[in-house]
Amino acid sequence: MSTRTLFIGMDGATFKILDDLTNTTEDKQPVMPFLSSIYEEGVRSKLLSTPNPLTPPAWVSLMTGRSPGNHGIFDFIRAEERGNDIFFTLYDSRDSKAETIWSIASRQGKRIAALNFPFTAPPQKDLNGFMVPGFIPWRHLRRNTTPSDFYDRLKVLPEFNPKELAWDFEKEKQAVSDLSDKDRENWVRYHLPRDRQWFRIAEYLLVEETPDLMAVMFDGVDKLQHQAWLFLDPSLQTGEVSEYHQRMRKLCMDYFRQLDGFIEKLINAAGPDVQVFMASDHGFTATYEIVRINAYLHKKGYLNWKLMPDTEEAARREESMFANLDWKNTTAYCRTPSSNGITIRVARNSSETGIKPEDYETFREQLIRDLEELRDPETEERIITGIFKREEIFPGPAMKDAPDLLLVLRDFGFVSIKDKEPIVEQRVEVAGTHHPDGVFFAYGPGIKQGEIIDRRNIADVGATLLYSLGLEVPSDFEGQVPESIFTEQHLAKNPVVIGAATTFQAKDEQPESMSEDEKDKLMAQLKMLGYME
Amino acid sequence: MVVFTKEAIEKTLVEIVEDLIQDWGIDPDDGITGTTLLVNDLDFASVDIIQLCVAIEQHYDRKIGFQDLLMKDGSYVSDLSIAQMVDFLVDRI
Repeated sequence: MSTRTLFIGMDGATFKILDDLTNTTEDKQPVMPFLSSIYEEGVRSKLLSTPNPLTPPAWVSLMTGRSPGNHGIFDFIRAEERGNDIFFTLYDSRDSKAETIWSIASRQGKRIAALNFPFTAPPQKDLNGFMVPGFIPWRHLRRNTTPSDFYDRLKVLPEFNPKELAWDFEKEKQAVSDLSDKDRENWVRYHLPRDRQWFRIAEYLLVEETPDLMAVMFDGVDKLQHQAWLFLDPSLQTGEVSEYHQRMRKLCMDYFRQLDGFIEKLINAAGPDVQVFMASDHGFTATYEIVRINAYLHKKGYLNWKLMPDTEEAARREESMFANLDWKNTTAYCRTPSSNGITIRVARNSSETGIKPEDYETFREQLIRDLEELRDPETEERIITGIFKREEIFPGPAMKDAPDLLLVLRDFGFVSIKDKEPIVEQRVEVAGTHHPDGVFFAYGPGIKQGEIIDRRNIADVGATLLYSLGLEVPSDFEGQVPESIFTEQHLAKNPVVIGAATTFQAKDEQPESMSEDEKDKLMAQLKMLGYME
Repeated sequence: MVVFTKEAIEKTLVEIVEDLIQDWGIDPDDGITGTTLLVNDLDFASVDIIQLCVAIEQHYDRKIGFQDLLMKDGSYVSDLSIAQMVDFLVDRI
């Protein structure tokens, strides 16, 4: 038996960078020669991310073939309204309301291996294969690794280092922080060994276990691009640059050269019969300004800041990545920078603060008008170029957990939620931010060569991986197999079959997770929106 | 119907915590007891507390709603003892 399907995820990879790094000119060889050969011998397309092009919703859409309104993962941080307080915690795999391709393949007898994918912890109990979750601190890897003895197998691998491998929450905050030159350089260096750790496990599993589906995700691409966009974007590599700039550029090239080597080695280890797919959860672009959205909502009278004592603990809370507000006197706010969304506080009963359910629609329309009025004082251009109601972009049973409005800034940046002026400020230098267009590659037997197809949707990747495994695509998948990437002979022999729906059941759903009050609130909103009589 | 006694819950919680910290290089002098503090004695960070809550929910195969334990008067608690967690679980399970 050999591995049938290999999936390599590259968090945040974009053709803006990859096209440059795979390009051969008269005076330079490509930084990524192997990927360059896949450009020639495979098929590629842009890949449209989720409405908020963010790691949690996007990877879960890829893994479930469903949109966020159906799977229910919208952000890193989940909020629970508690009367006049809001409790923030982290999303985990149990919050997803859709079955993953790992589970679908497992229950049909396929052996899978999935490494470093977010929201795969805690692991499902019915997996047939191996899973080491991503975005989990090293201290919790053992508990969340499948099968239960696999962590001990990893510990004896040469150079295995869980601290190097796993997510470090304190360090990860640096991805979107202002760093000194030295810290930024260290940040890039930190990701070289980290990706190497994941590569070694993937290679080990390919050789020792030959799972039917081998999937590994390298998230260093995203982390580098956030902090080192200035040194990566080809349009910014003009004129004279500093020695530091040259050093950073070289370090970034070392990272991508290493990644290219990992791709080549994994494909070679998988053998000549493997079908290879590669994708990113979103693309990247440059952000040049900071937009302090909660400061704007405060100015417009929608929110009030929480008065905090002058203590170290209070300062830490203020610096955290979730909003700290006077909830009783707040009607609309942004919960986290990554959400790029506005949540409207609706009172569930007369003892709670927030707007009345019957005022929701009028309130939201006024809020939209106010957000539209945030403009560049010099050009009068709108700062927020897209404002989407949640029922437009997050339809589905999980819509109630989505922000009421999703914002798209003119430079695609993430909002700031800090209590700071001015509301819109130019960055000292450009940084990287997410863009809706990610990348998709297919390569191997049965796949066409050298073609570029129209942009596909991220949910299509999950469907494609199941198809490549020889499985039916569940009828409730929103993702579709991009048949145009396969040769006619391959499709004739292996037609795409739509099969039974997924079998997901929310095992952990308890009545308390949605109180009667919350149900009433949802019903009221649905009625208001015309979804229910 | 399964009855969870306070003693049984404490024993379970201690086992879960011991399992959780086995690779951390932490060896509390008197072992883990009711007075053991998660942050002060076992070096828990906030993300470790979240993971402990997940482990407990997995063990009992239900959502427990730890927000009522972790948040008091609008602020997150700075530390928790094993005994506090046991009392909370006795009330919830």
